Amino acid sequence: MSRSLRWGIGLLLVAGLLLGAFLVLPFRSWLPGGTVANIATKEVVNGTLFNRLFPKPQAGEQLVFTQEKRGFSQARLKQGAEVRALLSISDVASAPASRNKFIHTEERLQSWPLVDQGSQASALLVADRFQVKVIGQGSGLDVQQRHELLGAFDLQALAALSPAAAQAPAIPSGREALPPGKGSPLRLPFPGLKRPAPQAQPAQVRAAQPANRPSFFPNRANAALEPAA
Amino acid sequence: MSATVLERLERLPRRNLTVLALRGISTLVPGGWQNQTSPDELISDVLGSDDPELVQQVRERADVLSRARHEGYRRALSLYDAVNRSQKAAGGLRVLANVAGALPLVKRLAALTPASQTLQAVDLSLKVAAEMLAFTQVNGLPGDSFAAFGDSLREYSGEARVRMAALVCFDALLPLGDNALHRLDGLLGQVGSRELHQLPSYAGMASLLPGRGDAAHLSFVRRGVDQWIGWADGFAADLGLSGQRAVRALETTIGPWHGGMEQLATFLDAFTDTYSHTGVQAVARRLVERAAAEI
Repeated sequence: MSRSLRWGIGLLLVAGLLLGAFLVLPFRSWLPGGTVANIATKEVVNGTLFNRLFPKPQAGEQLVFTQEKRGFSQARLKQGAEVRALLSISDVASAPASRNKFIHTEERLQSWPLVDQGSQASALLVADRFQVKVIGQGSGLDVQQRHELLGAFDLQALAALSPAAAQAPAIPSGREALPPGKGSPLRLPFPGLKRPAPQAQPAQVRAAQPANRPSFFPNRANAALEPAA
Repeated sequence: MSATVLERLERLPRRNLTVLALRGISTLVPGGWQNQTSPDELISDVLGSDDPELVQQVRERADVLSRARHEGYRRALSLYDAVNRSQKAAGGLRVLANVAGALPLVKRLAALTPASQTLQAVDLSLKVAAEMLAFTQVNGLPGDSFAAFGDSLREYSGEARVRMAALVCFDALLPLGDNALHRLDGLLGQVGSRELHQLPSYAGMASLLPGRGDAAHLSFVRRGVDQWIGWADGFAADLGLSGQRAVRALETTIGPWHGGMEQLATFLDAFTDTYSHTGVQAVARRLVERAAAEI
């Protein structure tokens, strides 16, 4: 085997290893497929914010939180040992198709569109962004009870969580949509070029966000200190 | 691409030694156990409706959710798989040692295999740690306070009562004796990193355990096990679980057993995968509950 061939094979191996390392090791979280429907987690409202909007359990009932993820929070309404219903709030940003069922409905609950799915599930779309759902479990709930439960959520506070309420631009509809300002390819300081005036909107949004999203720990600490209502 | 959670559920065995062992142990647990292996049945059970269109929507959503790496559903399954592989490997070694012990020429090999109680204790506590990690992978940190989080954990383990009963019986009471839960902490105190590294499941879990280095991992595992023992002790007392009762319950389904309890535990370790079987079912249920809420 000639000397140059050996060098070639060696270099090829090194390049292959580097490429493999780049694709597999520390950059995996950058690759597509990491999040639901490839929507950046930042664009989805955190489930922690939903927890305090759930209905307060009545006497003899207990609310047990079962899942909390980005854009989703779920609790079980229990009476004694029996599970009566699954209550949940989800952000439809990662499930745009779930909005479609609300298009043709005439029913309204506190002015938000309401849909019944099958015999045990009722869903409400709040602020065109959050889906609130009650699914009857075990012996089941009738339509009236489910709608009452839906109404018992703090829907006003939920609507206020929506970025649209914070006067932000509408939800980006696909993964290609970039926040304004980041989409422009080049911003070189050529003297001849006149720069467009910086847009006021995104700055506002960014400033509004911290107030809207309390950080993880203070939120939890406060909740732990407050007496359970 | 590997299988989604619901595909894994569909592939679970309907009738084999694992199912029989679980069915046997479920006679000790009120409420019993159903070997749920059909995604469609699970979905219509959660949804309270068997409208095929809705079931199909939930199924598609569940597949999207389980393909997303950040959501952790499949990571929970890979944790269960790592633990299961390790259990089978260790069980197989011990079966081999039992067989080899009877043959004069290879008798000395038997002395080499690690069948000690410490190792069994580590195996159990890694399973408990895997359980807690899988819980956070699947459910996040539900609730706004520690009390709410505790409620959520209790709810989860209450839902999987047969799973927990199997864990307590097969991995604690049978191999370690009836006072296993009280001895566990003492046994874990003797564990060093050498024992830890003898278990293949540790290698699979090390990157997911909080902290850096064996000592930090071990202390996390011990703290987790402390919490779990408090719960498991009450659970075992409530159901009146003991090694003898577990053996009798198993005999109703897998037939008479003439060996000792420790051999039964070894046999179950080597030839059943109760831990990952019930694990897939538990994760699938939580996944479907979420998908049903999101469609």
